[in-house]
Amino acid sequence: MIEIMPGVESAASALQAEKTRMEVIGQNIANANTTRTEKGGPYQRQVVQFQTYLEGKLGVDPSDAGQKVRISEIMSDPRPPREIYQPGHPDADDNGIVKYPNVRVHEEMADLIASSRAMEANLAIIRTARSMALQTLNIGRA
Amino acid sequence: MIDGLFASANYEGVKKMLDATVLRHKAISSNIANVETPHYQRVDVNSSFDMELKRAIASNQTGNVNSIQPRIEVDQQAVAQNRDGNSVQLEKELVSMQKNMVAHQLQTQMITGKLSKLRKAISGQA
Repeated sequence: MIEIMPGVESAASALQAEKTRMEVIGQNIANANTTRTEKGGPYQRQVVQFQTYLEGKLGVDPSDAGQKVRISEIMSDPRPPREIYQPGHPDADDNGIVKYPNVRVHEEMADLIASSRAMEANLAIIRTARSMALQTLNIGRA
Repeated sequence: MIDGLFASANYEGVKKMLDATVLRHKAISSNIANVETPHYQRVDVNSSFDMELKRAIASNQTGNVNSIQPRIEVDQQAVAQNRDGNSVQLEKELVSMQKNMVAHQLQTQMITGKLSKLRKAISGQA
């Protein structure tokens, strides 16, 4: 089957995945100083894992189907928490050490920029697909 | 019948090129979608397509041209630049998308040109 706008399915899947990544980044930044969570202990930074996949559609030859992307897993960053000496803090241990989340805000900001660039690139794909489709519809018009 | 009007190796060739252009856009969109997927290998239209098409058009047989099918395959030339094993370079993909768009414009115009020449011949206008 030939779709009118080629490749927009892949781009749409990527936009969705990037949106989820941005949400996770937002969550990390929001919790950059959370020392107490429901599970106990400081908040742990979350990272997303991208995965490519082919949608098994009937009648589509896998050799010419566009590969999509999705987020396969949201994992906890295994790096240790930041330990800061703050004796007056309610979450301080006996030595006055408070465990802060392993979130580094500058790292999150860099990821956020990468994510927004990836989104722009995918939007460019959709824009081009649209102009190609319009061009195709104009075949035969002088 | 009317097929005879269009049965030229060049015209069929342009149609095949248009197919390949659309397919290449699909490949590029899949590459850009997976720009951050670990171990993703970039894909492209099969590299032998251009040569096969050139040979078929040179043979001037529409049958030869029609039998060629472009398809998407993994680009073996591309090597991963990062440690995550992903062989996509975003800048290159965006440049090839622009090139592809211009190629698409050229091909649609060539088809339009052929059709309008035919129309002129039929209607007898100057």
